[in-house]
Amino acid sequence: MPDAPRRIIHIDMDAFYASVEQRDDPKLRGRPVAVGGSPESRGVVAAASYEARAFGVRSALPMARALRLCPELLVVRPDFARYRAVSQQVMAILREASPLVEPLSLDEAYLDVTENLWGEPLAVSVAKRLKARIRDELRLTASAGVAPNKFLAKIASGWRKPDGLTVIAPERVERFLAQLPVEALWGVGPVTAKKLRAIGIARLVDVRKTSEERLRGAVGNLAGWLERLSRGEDPRPVEPHRPWMSLSGETTYARDLEDSGEIRAEIERLARRLAASLERKNLLARTVTVKVRYSDFSTVTRSHTAAAPTREAGEIAARARALLERTDAARRPVRLLGVGAHGLLGEADFLPTSRALPL
Amino acid sequence: MVLVKAKRDELVAPLSSVSGIIERRHTLPILSNVLIERSTDSLAFLATDIEIQITAHTGSAQGGEAHSVTVGARKLLDILRALPEGSEVTLDQQDKRLLVRAGKSRFTLQTLPAEDFPRLAKPGGESAHFALGQRALRRLLGLVQYAMAQQDIRYYLNGLLMVVEDRQLKLVATDGHRLAFASLPLAAELPRQEVIVPRKTVLELAKLLSDSDDEVAIKLSANQAAFSFGTIELVSKLVDGKFPDYTRVIPTQHKNQLHLAREPLRQALLRAAILSNEKFRGVRWVLADGSLKIVSSNAEQEEAQEELEVKYSGEAIDVGFNVNYLLDVLNNVSGEEVECSFGDSTSSALFCYASEKDFKYVVMPMRI
Repeated sequence: MPDAPRRIIHIDMDAFYASVEQRDDPKLRGRPVAVGGSPESRGVVAAASYEARAFGVRSALPMARALRLCPELLVVRPDFARYRAVSQQVMAILREASPLVEPLSLDEAYLDVTENLWGEPLAVSVAKRLKARIRDELRLTASAGVAPNKFLAKIASGWRKPDGLTVIAPERVERFLAQLPVEALWGVGPVTAKKLRAIGIARLVDVRKTSEERLRGAVGNLAGWLERLSRGEDPRPVEPHRPWMSLSGETTYARDLEDSGEIRAEIERLARRLAASLERKNLLARTVTVKVRYSDFSTVTRSHTAAAPTREAGEIAARARALLERTDAARRPVRLLGVGAHGLLGEADFLPTSRALPL
Repeated sequence: MVLVKAKRDELVAPLSSVSGIIERRHTLPILSNVLIERSTDSLAFLATDIEIQITAHTGSAQGGEAHSVTVGARKLLDILRALPEGSEVTLDQQDKRLLVRAGKSRFTLQTLPAEDFPRLAKPGGESAHFALGQRALRRLLGLVQYAMAQQDIRYYLNGLLMVVEDRQLKLVATDGHRLAFASLPLAAELPRQEVIVPRKTVLELAKLLSDSDDEVAIKLSANQAAFSFGTIELVSKLVDGKFPDYTRVIPTQHKNQLHLAREPLRQALLRAAILSNEKFRGVRWVLADGSLKIVSSNAEQEEAQEELEVKYSGEAIDVGFNVNYLLDVLNNVSGEEVECSFGDSTSSALFCYASEKDFKYVVMPMRI
């Protein structure tokens, strides 16, 4: 006997960073706003207000291009500390409905409301109440998708934006799937989509009519996953305590760095910032990675894993500097530098380690 | 052609001296061989792993026409060791094979040409020459070598810092959490020299040095260190890197001091270690007037407590250490009395010995 259908909500804050900026600064309201790095420093758009999107400004677009698309665009430098604080308020509201909240990023989360603290029999009522709370208390809008699993809920929340609410009831899943192009799938980028179209799969449901070998030949290991999704199945649970997989920080420089002293100083700065963020999140890392993008955009990463986890700034900085030595940084001009931490251990795994000598 | 005729033991000793550095797996097959080199007045065995090269001469001079060949070191050593003590052994090269004969035993081994055997280049640049007694150097190495890092990304910590300055030889080893320092006066004023000797070289050297007053001649140059003692010459490449400024981490201002008898402390730590967390090895030191408590507990909430009566009148301190770091120093450095100095629970602790004036051990506490 199949399990009883679950009720999953995906909440996606509308143009989150830009909306927070517009909320907090009346001068920005009703105008095209992009949050991100300055065009001079080769920054990119992190979030665009809906007014800006009308001009074709999208996140990840280089800011200089965004300004060509929309000359009156107001560029705001991001203030992640503030976004994090607002995000925590959003998540707190979501947790009032159900303890099963899985944040995906600052502005997105899944909730399992099959059983909810409000005793609402219908997930759509929970979603309506959440949207109303977010609007009334935080003066922000969110789009919600309600469906029997994560995959469908996420697609549903993107169906109507901003301030949308889309419900895919179990009996309507089939009709919903029928109209879905392959590009709508999570895990299917433009390249995979092209491969699928090449073998005659334009809509997700076309996957069902394709033989497994043919599918596997086109997209490899993704085949099994696609097959499941084409039947609207996604058994992944909502995991409220999904551990942080990694933390990293990187900077793109306004001009290419060529001085080895300057590059080392930057790596040191990024490493110390990373250590501070591990400290804040109460995490320890076993693996430290360094990422270097040269001026020709070719990118290398170097990593090192130690037996004992650490978040000691001095040790992370020393390891990052040693990894930097294994790149061509300075011998080749550098456009971007990053330092990351992987193999993270959370609070539960937190055990004492020896401090580092201040060498 | 007969290379050598000798007693088994005269060959086993030099051959085992050089074989220690041979790696089990190597990309170059010839590196698992030993070079047997006969010159007019001696016979020598030579082995290398490209970083280190050890030459050992046979005790009794066994000269003859100059000739050399290489043969699998491990097999030759195993054969010689397995022969009865006192056997008369002949190494006889016949074409491309080496014939080993002893009594009624015969072994034929494959050889590789001596010309293909890699040798370390001669050192370049200035070098510092000096000599110490073997026992003195061995003791000095023993005071610090256990603190060297192992496969640390900070490759310059995977070795031993040797500094010649102020008429002293100073040795420093650290793995980033603890640091051992030892020094020895030198007979003459020498130009300042600073080298990092690789970990493997240090361990091998400590193994080969004998407990005698015979001299070891040391040559430190910009890219090599050479140690000659007895019939052995060990030459090693150096770790190319900058060792961090160790003087900054040796505390000088710690006011909270206590004196402990080494053996009772070591025993107490060994017992407490049994119930410390297997992975993190933490033990707490709780210091108050007249008493030191050593406390440990593991993941199963089992607890050990040891108490030592001490003369202590400093601040009350509660600090955690990796017990292995403490046992390392107490096991490797003997002496009746240990002097421990503390700052607070986040600063390093300093261990000194009344009997070892030129030794210091710094250990960082744990975050508990």
